[in-house]
Amino acid sequence: MRRQRRLWLAAAAAVLALAGCGRDAGGGQDGARSVGDGKATGEITVWAMGTEGEKLAEFAKAFTTENPDAKVTVTAVPWDAAHQKIASAIAGKQTPDISMIGTTWMGEFAKTGAFDPTPLNFVDKSAFFSGAWDTTVVDGTSYGVPWYVETRLIYYRKDLAQRAGITAAPQTWDELKTFAKALKEKAGAQSGLYLQPGGTGSWQSFLPFAWSNGAELTAGKDFSIDTPEMTEALTYYQSFFAENLSVKNDLGLQGALEQSFISGKVGAFVSGPWHVGLLTEQGGPGFADKFAVAPMPRKKTATSFIGGSDLAVFKDAKNRDAAWKFIAWLSKPEVQVKWYQAVKDLPAVQKGWDDSTLKDDPFLATFGLQLKDAKSPPPMATWEQVASVIDGQVERVAKAGENPATAVKTMQQQASSVGTGG
Amino acid sequence: MTAAPATTAPSRPAATDRPHRTDGVTGRRRRRALTGWLFAAPFTVLFAVFMAVPVVASLAMSFTDLRSTDLRNPWSVDVVGLDNYVRLFSDALFRRAAVNTLVFVVVGVPLTIVAGLAAATALNSALVRFRAAFRVGFYLPVVTSIVAIAVVWRFLLDPEAGLVNNLLRVVGIDGPNWLGDSSLALPSITVMAAWRNFGFLMVIFLAGLQAVPADLYEAARIDGAGRWAQFRHVTLPMLRPTLLFGAVVTGIGYLQLFEEPFVMTRGGPLSSTLSVSYHIYNQFGFGNYGYAAAASYVLFVGIVALSALQFRLLRSSE
Repeated sequence: MRRQRRLWLAAAAAVLALAGCGRDAGGGQDGARSVGDGKATGEITVWAMGTEGEKLAEFAKAFTTENPDAKVTVTAVPWDAAHQKIASAIAGKQTPDISMIGTTWMGEFAKTGAFDPTPLNFVDKSAFFSGAWDTTVVDGTSYGVPWYVETRLIYYRKDLAQRAGITAAPQTWDELKTFAKALKEKAGAQSGLYLQPGGTGSWQSFLPFAWSNGAELTAGKDFSIDTPEMTEALTYYQSFFAENLSVKNDLGLQGALEQSFISGKVGAFVSGPWHVGLLTEQGGPGFADKFAVAPMPRKKTATSFIGGSDLAVFKDAKNRDAAWKFIAWLSKPEVQVKWYQAVKDLPAVQKGWDDSTLKDDPFLATFGLQLKDAKSPPPMATWEQVASVIDGQVERVAKAGENPATAVKTMQQQASSVGTGG
Repeated sequence: MTAAPATTAPSRPAATDRPHRTDGVTGRRRRRALTGWLFAAPFTVLFAVFMAVPVVASLAMSFTDLRSTDLRNPWSVDVVGLDNYVRLFSDALFRRAAVNTLVFVVVGVPLTIVAGLAAATALNSALVRFRAAFRVGFYLPVVTSIVAIAVVWRFLLDPEAGLVNNLLRVVGIDGPNWLGDSSLALPSITVMAAWRNFGFLMVIFLAGLQAVPADLYEAARIDGAGRWAQFRHVTLPMLRPTLLFGAVVTGIGYLQLFEEPFVMTRGGPLSSTLSVSYHIYNQFGFGNYGYAAAASYVLFVGIVALSALQFRLLRSSE
């Protein structure tokens, strides 16, 4: 009996503890504090992922020469573990001063209230590509600074296009379709234009078409996916599969995309700047002359997707002012160019593109051009889940022949039930 | 409890009939209990901190709407009662995952057991040479990293360059896209999982077979039993506890199907290889901690239920 009483006590305590929970009704608007004058001092701790994490420590030595009293400590975090590690750090209030944050994570982490609002009198917003800056803005407040960017272009085989009698890269949706058909029928490519047939990240292939057609994911706090523009874009996307201009297998998942492009099975595909290096490396000598990149084709606009990473300062940072000074240094145009030379990250600062290293490279120049018209999904706490909803419906449309209008309705309905997390 | 009111225990002898407890006895008992707890303390503390607290916390979590955006203020979440559980069963993707997992278990467990039993019986008979080599060969997939296996199988199952389809082509069959077809992906993964895991059961069953007394077979032979009859009436009944163990262990493992779809198909195509564990993993990834915790408890109940069912089905008759 005593044991039973204890159980009841424990249960009652648990209920009481839970009753103490409950959300605050209103979230106060964050105000940004300004940053003090003078040189940076003290230790600045930074987390960065991938190549950035490996190379940043060495790169930051130029900063510490300028600011002799400061010390930059970089922790390299693997991409796989990064989301979990940052989440744990926020929960345990044991954050570094700065962390690199993937652009699509901004909404979620900013919503926890862990980031320090960007001091706008210290960082010049207009220096950055507007599409990149938008990735830092959550509910009207900016919580970081774009560090580097990437955008998507159409990669195509010049030699195959020539064989198919095409002299200029496609500029409109209609031309893109003709282009894909010609590559398939006249140049023997199995996929004239390979598009990702669903699967993780296929929203990045599809949304540029939607944006170019004037569709938007959200209007205010609500989703606005179910529009004629979105349906039309998805119908266009589907037509490449319906007309067998693209295979329905996820070549990226099987790691077969590069080899298919090199062997000529794929005549064209959509991807980001990393493929220039990958293809030149895997294609062997001379292959770099066989392919080119072209901007996204125009419908109402010619919008592409902008990705990359931002840098954010945490509210629990121990050395906040110095952290912002380090970020400001990383955002200088000349530093951005040097950073490009070190790790091939494309500058998020527009002036960086005036440097001849970037301007005179035909591949990069096209990326620079596209960045002026590139967008990202609006930052929201639930983005990953909404993205998987879009991925799922794109897959149904591409592989199972689902009616695009129905798919768009389902996207709208499922996304709304997930919510924007606002 | 020492002074229980007489009304609750009318049949008991009166309290005065019991031997009196002196303070000395109680003290000694207390001291003994204390010593016991002291000895058990290292384990108890570790268990409480690293097992009991997280388990209780996750159970509590499943009744709240905790999301990753609440990380800084985990106490400010709302209690939503059974809402997560209700939503779970109206979630089409979760139902799909549950069906996929059930199909995988219902087909995969018997397949693995039959393969393991066949291999064990073959190796146990005197007919097979190079027994050690076979034993190692069959066991090798069990100890090989799933990532390596997945890469190799993806090559084997490649629709164009893969060995499987090339062999089929030799006999004039145009092989399908095994992992890319939504009706074939789950069967492909089931067969691969059975191939990967039957070696473990084979070792267990071999041990079980060697424990069957030889005189039982001798008696059966004298009674005129053939090979099949011996297997059916001697081997299988004697192996019952071993089979039960194999079924339970395999069932628990298969209900938690995750690695194979994760590295081979990412749950696709069209969610045809999405498992419950994978769904939970996704939900945690989306930051829906409360919802994912609820799904985890549903999976836990499923595992307990399946194990109970297997115990019931394979319980020895006596």
